[in-house]
Amino acid sequence: MSKLMNVSSSPHVRSKLTTRHVMCDVILALLPATVMGVYHFGFSALVTILVSIAAAVLTEFLFDKATGKENTITDCSAIVTGLLLALCLPNGVPLYIPILGSLFAILFTKCCFGGLGHNFMNPALSGRCFLLISFASVMSTYTVDGVSSATPLADLAAGNSVSLMQTFLGLNNGVIGCSAAGLLLGGIYLLIVGGITWEIPVSVLVSFTAFIALFGGHGFDVQYLLLQLAGGGIVMGAFFMATDPVTCPLASGGQLIYGVALGILAAVFRVFGTSADSVSYAIIICNMFVPLIDEISIPKPFGYRKRKEGGKKIPTAAIALCVITLVAGVALSGVYKMTEGKIAEQQLAAKAASYQEVCPDAVEFTYDDALTAKVDALNGEVYGTDFGKAYINEVIVGKDASGNVTGYVISASSGDGMEGEITMSVGMAADGTVTGISFTVLNETAGLGSLVGEDAFKSQFDGVKADKFTLFKSGGASAPGEINGVSGATISSSAVVNAVNAAVDFFENDIQQGGN
Amino acid sequence: MFKKTFKGGVHPDDGKRYAKDASYRAYLPQGELVFPMSQHIGKPAKPLVKKGDTVLAGQLIGEADGFVSANIVSSCSGTVKAVENRRTASGAKVMSVVIENDGQYTLAEGIGVERDYKMLGKEEILGSIQKAGIVGMGGAGFPVHVKLAPKNADEIRYIIANGAECEPYITCDDQLMRTKSMELAEGMRILLKLFPAAEGVFLIEENKPEAIAAMEKACAGDEKLKVHAAKCKYPQGGERSIIQVIAGIDLKLGMLPADAGCVVDNVATIYAIYQAVCKSIPLMERGFTVSGDVVKEPCNLIVKIGTNMAEVLETAGGIRDGKEAEKYLSGGPMMGMALADLNVPICKNNNALTVLGEDPVAKAEQQETACLRCGRCTRVCPLGLSPQEMMDAAKRRRFVRYEKKLYGLECIACGSCTYVCPAKRPLMQTFKQTKAEIMAKKRAAQAQQGGAKK
Repeated sequence: MSKLMNVSSSPHVRSKLTTRHVMCDVILALLPATVMGVYHFGFSALVTILVSIAAAVLTEFLFDKATGKENTITDCSAIVTGLLLALCLPNGVPLYIPILGSLFAILFTKCCFGGLGHNFMNPALSGRCFLLISFASVMSTYTVDGVSSATPLADLAAGNSVSLMQTFLGLNNGVIGCSAAGLLLGGIYLLIVGGITWEIPVSVLVSFTAFIALFGGHGFDVQYLLLQLAGGGIVMGAFFMATDPVTCPLASGGQLIYGVALGILAAVFRVFGTSADSVSYAIIICNMFVPLIDEISIPKPFGYRKRKEGGKKIPTAAIALCVITLVAGVALSGVYKMTEGKIAEQQLAAKAASYQEVCPDAVEFTYDDALTAKVDALNGEVYGTDFGKAYINEVIVGKDASGNVTGYVISASSGDGMEGEITMSVGMAADGTVTGISFTVLNETAGLGSLVGEDAFKSQFDGVKADKFTLFKSGGASAPGEINGVSGATISSSAVVNAVNAAVDFFENDIQQGGN
Repeated sequence: MFKKTFKGGVHPDDGKRYAKDASYRAYLPQGELVFPMSQHIGKPAKPLVKKGDTVLAGQLIGEADGFVSANIVSSCSGTVKAVENRRTASGAKVMSVVIENDGQYTLAEGIGVERDYKMLGKEEILGSIQKAGIVGMGGAGFPVHVKLAPKNADEIRYIIANGAECEPYITCDDQLMRTKSMELAEGMRILLKLFPAAEGVFLIEENKPEAIAAMEKACAGDEKLKVHAAKCKYPQGGERSIIQVIAGIDLKLGMLPADAGCVVDNVATIYAIYQAVCKSIPLMERGFTVSGDVVKEPCNLIVKIGTNMAEVLETAGGIRDGKEAEKYLSGGPMMGMALADLNVPICKNNNALTVLGEDPVAKAEQQETACLRCGRCTRVCPLGLSPQEMMDAAKRRRFVRYEKKLYGLECIACGSCTYVCPAKRPLMQTFKQTKAEIMAKKRAAQAQQGGAKK
């Protein structure tokens, strides 16, 4: 009698595809963008990528060891997380950034929830969001060759012209994996090998573009739309982040719902949000809804689907979704169009009110070409050397009813605020007395930094003529020109004082002397 | 008019290259032949012979017990050695008649008498099919005379001859269609006589161009016969897939092909019907493929029912030198049954012996990881089920959700999900178990209710 053979339940063959293959496919798909990133940003980008991957793998390895679990690093999923995270980081960040990010992504988002397949949101993105919140300034400093500059989207928002081709190839500034071309190439590869399905990328990109076109304020400006797609994280998000199988819906219908919601949310954040990051948060939020989407989109099997007799099967879900999106879009755009004029009027009125507030004697405000030229000559660069990151934005001349100059309004900003830029209008009488300040952009911490907007702080500048205002600790000021800081908000207070000093300096040098 | 294929499905290596072009050769067995009394779905047949009896080839040795059952005839002449329990390919021990073959194959009276089916009435045709003990030869083994007597005979629109042969490695149906195309066309015409409103369709996968050409030639000139070349994809030969492709109707649990106006029979079954009706030959032999990557001379045989599997492997030259068999499969690798050893008889519904040099299942068990939720299982399920969710529900034993929300009992156990899963999870195996468990619970509940009523 020969030996007994293995028995098992059918099927007795298996596809060659393993979890490791799936992960390696993703790594392969990310290579073009990685290569572009390293080529463009240089050696430092490569270091960031390698450190991020090493930290991710090591974290998982140590977690498995510590908890006595089977070693899971051979499935390569940690490498994917580390690589994805690194590609979402700005170049030249200190190395503790990728380490902390990978640690958070792997340890908290993945391992603590049960490891591969059990994380409730995309680990790499959770790592990025953790870093964005904890190290906001580092994460928003984009440097190429050691020089920090704006990202294409920031440039675009500021109204500067941006090269589409450069942005598409990833030769502008941005995160390491900012090459939309490279990402697209990888995404198409994944589509071909079946690593991802078309539903999510297509629905994300289409809904995102549609929303930007309707509400982005530039209409169907193809150049602008393409820049919005090529710059920023939407391509990365659509092909690599949103499609993370663990945190996206299973069924085709669910994937469409998810993709449309995600695209719209990302566009809303980008158009109306203040944070530079729109796609990451949109994906993280949509990840939270995946179990719900999955539950409502369990496919009806064979024999239970309704078929129209004779006619072709119509994808009702997809059509319904499109109709809803369209109706919502048209309704929203209608409201926006109706209110657009009013909003502009009100913004103008608010501006005028702020001028009036700081320059009470004037009844009419005009630009002076000579002064505007002087402001333009500053090129939007930091003003002077003694005022931190202060900028002079514009100068308006206030005149009385008979056309005599009664004062000037200088719009100045400081980039040193706790929560980004603070912009204010500083009113100056012709003799150099400050007649008042009023904030036009103030996003400081509520209850602390925001108190600089209160009269108690603002009024300290009113009616004072000084070459330079000096900031003291709360209660320390005694003479005119000495300012009591807001208690607990030294940074905000100092930013305001610096901006006012910049305005005074500009007034003395360029208006009084230059003018006379 | 017909669709090319169904939604979902997988493309495993079809392995047909081994035995594709090996012409049929008859193999005459030595020694004893074993005839299990249950080679079909339904009640086992009742043995009609006892130890010491002499039997002739074609002689009835097991009589159908009731309507849903089938006759068993001897495929050789000789002496009854025993009537006892013997192991079959399924692993179960089944009451069997064991016959010592005298090697003469002396035919019983009346076997081989030629008849013209055109002269026969419906009852006579059905009678000959029932008498010949013909069952579905594609695998299920459902008694064909039952299948051919649906309540709505007038509403049957399609008689479908299943020549898809989507199971990898197996090539005996391919050979049958290549060499017996005229007989198959005749067999189909016999069935059309039973269902005058229907048309006959031969469904063949595209990877068998010779078979398609042969069948097209055989069907040429007959308006009621058609050949449909379907896309090569597993499980194209599944009953539901076929009906979806041909009739455009989705069958669900509890529905019979007849409800969709279809009768589906394997081409081997159709050939058996032709033999029984036109030649008065009962089901004594069948086409059989011996194949696999370690078989020395993969071949297509015409074997006597009851032949020992070990013998057919021997006639195929055994295992290739320097190789070792890891797995014996009765049938193909997707739905076949693994055999612990080869000492089992070939039954009416066994179409192949596949011998694999390595066991992918053992390898897969080592590669198993957690589910990635990649959704490949959902994409390949030919029924549009959600295997990932079903697995979850099965593991948590949420049976109501499994049955009502996920339609888990619809699973036809084609194994596509298990095949494609990169995490190598035993999906289909779990579904089979879960289905058995739920059905057992239902039966228990029913029995209890019945008891309470009394």
